[in-house]
Amino acid sequence: MAMKRRTTILVVLGLAAAFLVALWKPTVLIYGVQQAGLYAAIAIPMGLVLGIVHIVNLAHGEFMMVAAYATYFACRATGLDPLLAVLPSAAVTALLGWVVYKLTIRRALKAPELNQLILTFGIGILLSQGVNLLFTSQTRKISLEYVSASMTIGELSFGVWPFVFVIVATAMAVGLKLFLTRTTTGKAALAVGQNPRGAAIVGIDVDRTYGLVFALAMALVGGMGALFLTRSAIFPGVGGPFTMKSFCLVAMAGIGNIPGILGASLLLGLSESFLRAFRELRGWADIIFFVLIIVVILGRSLKGRKS
Amino acid sequence: MILDVKKLETGYGRLRVLTGVDLSVGRESVGLFGPNGAGKTTLINTIMGINKPWSGVVTFDGQDIGGKATHLVARAGIALVPQERELFPGMSVADNLELGAAYVPRAAGIGKRQLDMVLQLFPILKERYRQLVGTMSGGQQRMVAIGRALMANPLLLILDEPSLGLQPSIVAEVFERLARLKKEIAILVTEQNVRESLKAIDRGYVLENGAVALRDTAEGLAKNPHVVSAYLGI
Ligand SMILES: Nc1ncnc2c1ncn2[C@@H]1O[C@H](COP(=O)(O)OP(=O)(O)O)[C@@H](O)[C@H]1O
Ligand SMILES: [Mg+2]
Repeated sequence: MAMKRRTTILVVLGLAAAFLVALWKPTVLIYGVQQAGLYAAIAIPMGLVLGIVHIVNLAHGEFMMVAAYATYFACRATGLDPLLAVLPSAAVTALLGWVVYKLTIRRALKAPELNQLILTFGIGILLSQGVNLLFTSQTRKISLEYVSASMTIGELSFGVWPFVFVIVATAMAVGLKLFLTRTTTGKAALAVGQNPRGAAIVGIDVDRTYGLVFALAMALVGGMGALFLTRSAIFPGVGGPFTMKSFCLVAMAGIGNIPGILGASLLLGLSESFLRAFRELRGWADIIFFVLIIVVILGRSLKGRKS
Repeated sequence: MILDVKKLETGYGRLRVLTGVDLSVGRESVGLFGPNGAGKTTLINTIMGINKPWSGVVTFDGQDIGGKATHLVARAGIALVPQERELFPGMSVADNLELGAAYVPRAAGIGKRQLDMVLQLFPILKERYRQLVGTMSGGQQRMVAIGRALMANPLLLILDEPSLGLQPSIVAEVFERLARLKKEIAILVTEQNVRESLKAIDRGYVLENGAVALRDTAEGLAKNPHVVSAYLGI
């Protein structure tokens, strides 16, 4: 119930912000929505892991970065388009995720939360510093023609390619919802998230389910790594801000609330886009997520005091 | 024998709770009694692989299941109705029941039959079929837990305090339904409510201080002076 209300609040706030921004400067709305799509598509897998495995994966953005690097070198070597690498990249990161789960995360599941945070934070550092050592901190980019495709409506002119992130985020949210509520494996995963002991009692292999869910989330974020490369330059630290922002969005939405992540992303994307519209405020755009998370924490502690 | 427990010892950390328990269940209904803290839940959880045995043997349906993972014990044919119910609160009655059967080979292909049987046993679950389990009363949740266990078409059904938190009127009903089931399924049941449960069982054990203090038929227990003074409160 509380979850439903929060989702409604986030979605209404997001849509209200969208409406106001649209009245004022339509391009700000368009860029905001596109950015929101990117954020949501990266945050949803983190929400999946938190909701079912109950682990905050602070290496989340770094997994995406590694996938983007793998895609980059594969595309450089073969001359193929990164779009063709989305599925292979997803498969490779899924495997990497499975191995990381088996070797490290499962051993920390019963440990205090702080240890889990330190563990995934450490994995993140290992990944970004490893890439830094191997490939230097040089920025890399693949230039693609279709990415600069733009569209003009009246006075308005804007890039259309980043809408792909909006489509992917929506597809991810809908697909996961269907998976978790309509398939046996999905229902079992949901059950494991709600009560691991109860799940084991009915014959569900909890450890295997955790591994599968973690691998699935890493597959999604790995596919996003390839997609990210179509538009953005990459460097070893490129994943870090996405880890932080994903965490912010997941915290805003609440555990296990995938539609809420869409609403929260809309709010964040629009706020950033709005601030970027003013030259003097541009620098603040990158930390607005911090303000949002403080508001969420304040709201929660106030509500906690009331009840 | 379907279940055979021999010289089972276990505990928590350095606390020894079971000090060598022998217990067996055949095609029958067996009660497990004893004061709070005697180790009944610990014994059941050890059979189920939730706690690990320190020593001793647990055989089920001819296999050694001592120390096996819980999900494997469940798949072998033991269904548990835990003292704390352990349901999936954010899922519907329908999904909770479905998951009771989904991973157990014995229940493969007969889900519909089991479901009909469960809904006939607890008609309230039919009315509440789409309701989230977390929003139901304790008594209704207990019925979901029993229903979920029955969905697995178990060879052995274990119930840990099934009447806990139920109104007395419903307690009698639950035991009446268990008595109906015992013709088909082996049952091991722990109960604070010894008087009611004696009507539904064939034999019983009394567990005290982590060991079997007494074992007898239901009639024998009902007449035993120790049982009468300690558990029947006369
Ligand atoms: N998780 C636990 N950790 C430590 N001690 C426990 C735990 N569960 C039960 N105990 C102890 O084990 C003993 C037996 O408890 P239990 O098996 O729950 O008894 P019963 O089900 O017969 O009431 C009690 O002394 C209880 O305090
Ligand atoms: Mg108990």
